[in-house]
Amino acid sequence: MHGFKARQGRFVARVDEGERAVVASVVADVLELLGAPRPDEEHAGDDRPAAPQEPGGLPHLRTDTPAPPGDPAVRRLLPDASRDDPSLAAEFRRLTEDDLRAQKVDRLEALWRALESPGGGRRRDELVVSAQDAPAVAAALTDLRLVLAERLGVHTDAEADAMYAVLGEPPPPASAARGDHETRRYLVSVYGALTWLQESLVVLMLADARQARRAHGDGPPGTQGTGDVAGSG
Amino acid sequence: MQTTPDERVEAVEETSLGDPWVTIVWNDPVNLMSYVTYVFETYFGHPHATAEKLMRQVHEEGRAVVSTGVLESMEVDVQAMHGFGLWATLQRSGA
Repeated sequence: MHGFKARQGRFVARVDEGERAVVASVVADVLELLGAPRPDEEHAGDDRPAAPQEPGGLPHLRTDTPAPPGDPAVRRLLPDASRDDPSLAAEFRRLTEDDLRAQKVDRLEALWRALESPGGGRRRDELVVSAQDAPAVAAALTDLRLVLAERLGVHTDAEADAMYAVLGEPPPPASAARGDHETRRYLVSVYGALTWLQESLVVLMLADARQARRAHGDGPPGTQGTGDVAGSG
Repeated sequence: MQTTPDERVEAVEETSLGDPWVTIVWNDPVNLMSYVTYVFETYFGHPHATAEKLMRQVHEEGRAVVSTGVLESMEVDVQAMHGFGLWATLQRSGA
């Protein structure tokens, strides 16, 4: 695996066939966690959950309130919007969860297709991401890493720093513990590779965004943000 | 969440005299410092220095207020942060 590099306005990484298969399987796992069909399995075609859009294009508004996800990894992808006000969190979830889930599923499916269709660049192992698609890819990589970190029990910065130690540890002698050790090593190595891949992409995205702002005189950006803090602006 | 312009104006009028709300982003061990800075620069339009200061505040203090305004605006920002994979919450300012 080689991290992303900028080339002719696009971002190009090198991810070989084996690495693609590993990442694609994590993508499929996370899609399944979000209630979407696994893209690596055959489907009859009509077993998708109800789309959030009504046929007329009107937004689908829930009248029921979805319960917070029971799986902590899914709850991290679709988090509570309040730590201390359950009714506020529930109302927010009712209004936004379907859209957020659909957004994350779309991005993961796009990443899966990119991983499954090599050859977009000059080499078969090239993973080519347009500048336009880069934010969606970076966000999808975040979601993969959030799920892996939850499965690894990583909840603090210290735990994140410490998790890589398993890569240098000898396997334990007992067979059951050895299996756990191997699983953990695998998840940590995938997490590390995705982290590195994402970092290489985001550094390029940040440089591009800053260059674009300089080109526009660094004036007030066309921001989607609605508020402002910390004396900025 | 989409709101129509009329609803938005009404919401502003309803809450303009009340406490504004805030969007808080919480630290997590997964999100990259570069990515959080990218989100703060590109979504909120903060200059580099402000975005990095807020990112460091999240990282070192565990949380930072990233936007303030009426509830409906904060809901838009919180949902956007969740879309990026950052964990954000909304609460009344000063609460």
